[in-house]
Amino acid sequence: MSSLLRLDDVHFDYQGNSVLRQTTFQLEEGSCSALIGTNGVGKTTLLRIAAGVLRPVSGQIRLRERPMETIPIKEVARTVALVPQQLELPFAFTVQQVVEQGRTPYIGMLRGPGRSDRIAVDRALDLADVSSLRDRVFNELSGGERQRVKIALGLAQQPRLLLLDEPTQNLDIGRQVELIDLLHFLRDEGITILASMHDLHLVDKNFSTVLLLSPKEMNQPLVSGTPEQILKPSLLERAFQCPPDRHPLLIERAELYRKEAR
Amino acid sequence: MAIEIATVATTHAPAVGGPRRRTLGPLVLNLLLIAGLGLMTVISLGTGAVHISPRAIFAAMFWHRPLSETERLILFHLRLPRVLASGVVGSALALSGLLFQGLFRNPIADPYVIGSSGGATFGASLGITFLSQWSVLGFSATALLAFAGSAATMALVYSLARSGGKTNVVTLLLAGFAISTIFMNSSYFFELFDRTGNGIGNQVLAAWLHGVIGIPGWTSLAVSAALLVVGILAALPLMRTLNTLVLGDEYAQQLGINVEFARVAIILIGSLMTAVAVSLGGVIFFAGLIVPHVARLMMGPDHVRLLPVTALAGAIFLMLADTLARTIFAPSELPVGVLMAFVGGPFFLYLLRKMKRNYTV
Repeated sequence: MSSLLRLDDVHFDYQGNSVLRQTTFQLEEGSCSALIGTNGVGKTTLLRIAAGVLRPVSGQIRLRERPMETIPIKEVARTVALVPQQLELPFAFTVQQVVEQGRTPYIGMLRGPGRSDRIAVDRALDLADVSSLRDRVFNELSGGERQRVKIALGLAQQPRLLLLDEPTQNLDIGRQVELIDLLHFLRDEGITILASMHDLHLVDKNFSTVLLLSPKEMNQPLVSGTPEQILKPSLLERAFQCPPDRHPLLIERAELYRKEAR
Repeated sequence: MAIEIATVATTHAPAVGGPRRRTLGPLVLNLLLIAGLGLMTVISLGTGAVHISPRAIFAAMFWHRPLSETERLILFHLRLPRVLASGVVGSALALSGLLFQGLFRNPIADPYVIGSSGGATFGASLGITFLSQWSVLGFSATALLAFAGSAATMALVYSLARSGGKTNVVTLLLAGFAISTIFMNSSYFFELFDRTGNGIGNQVLAAWLHGVIGIPGWTSLAVSAALLVVGILAALPLMRTLNTLVLGDEYAQQLGINVEFARVAIILIGSLMTAVAVSLGGVIFFAGLIVPHVARLMMGPDHVRLLPVTALAGAIFLMLADTLARTIFAPSELPVGVLMAFVGGPFFLYLLRKMKRNYTV
């Protein structure tokens, strides 16, 4: 397997506050990874950097072995799509009109969308399973429907890498499971996935790799591995600064590891 | 697994191929609007203190049935330039409203709210008071100063609202409002200066500040119309970008749009259109707010479709308003700017109410 995205010693400041330090990792083509860490640790920033929207202060990002800064922005947009946490539209755009915006990197300024663009939009709507919503107004959809439309918008870019910023946020458990199924389905379609995740219960069985971002005080800013390697009570306790006996997840994991040790 | 998702998702969604929302065939609508513009022109030409029936106008146009000398004089020297001017002003205002609303992602942005017409008014007042005889390459000093004022205030308002790579819309609107008010009112200061010594300069400026379209010379009318066409043509390729910018600056950037370039281009065109409107028609509130908004209700929010509709509807709308303004109290004239304030003000309030329900900014 080849590496699709590689971050090497990436550092980022936000108005003088360092958000990411010495961040190094790579994503294999075809993997399905979860990005976890406490609030404000830089998950969103990391995703933005990976999407080429933010430039790091130092360090290097390589997309398919090419330095990110040497790739034209339209080409980056045809390779990486970022599904943001929130999408607020001031006007009553329909789902179809929203998803069509994903074709922007393929459409020249003077040329309108062509046949291939219409096909790609239909396919994206289809993949995210929102074809039936195409004439609805985006702002009037439910949270779960919006999440799917946002993913369809990303898919219309025909990306190799799909980045998702907390895709299960504000979804009920049924919609969460549907969303995870959708991510697996997209992975099977050959799209590499990196999603920042808040709900660690969902991370365990559903992702092949876990990236754990730790707060500044810790000496190792980012660790990655399989869910079994990363979702250890000891690691989580420090990274999330959560007393081990105060949260059901940590108690549960501790019991699990005790059993395995026996 | 995919099938499983499909069943869940379709249960709470309407059937495929259900009725499309809020759309009218764009071609049909544009043709209707073009016909409406023609009709409105003829009606406006015929209406006024002296009534000339549309039939007489058509007869003169198509069957060479001559009009009386007085009628000719009224039609071609008094009414035609004015009617055309009101069309150009309305179109330019509506277009700049559409551009600013799209760019700032806010349905209450318009040249007056944002401050660009405040700047244009200030610049034009300078021109009218001190440099009324000057012109550069056919552009009057008034028009040039209006454009400079408009672009400069936009740059100022915009930079005030920017911080940390983001535009705060609330700050933008408030800054725009403050700057608009400052410039709009300092224009009255120029009324103190009267270089003719007999009060005429004063009157020209005062009338203009109230939004009287007046009877423009053919040169300035032609220049304004040409600029309007340039503005429309320049805006055309930016409309798709405007659709993308609705997703937010950062999202647009992620989709490969050069946001900074698009923004500057849209602000420049919007400022140019404001300057065209202000230098020809003076201070006319709310037209730039109402027309794009109503067009959006009829056509949906796609800017590519909205551009021609807004330009045409803006022209019709202001022709109608100006005709009403000069006939309601005929032979006295109500400045169209005053009429618009009475019609537009309540509409603006209605929008605010509606926004409060639909959006929490």
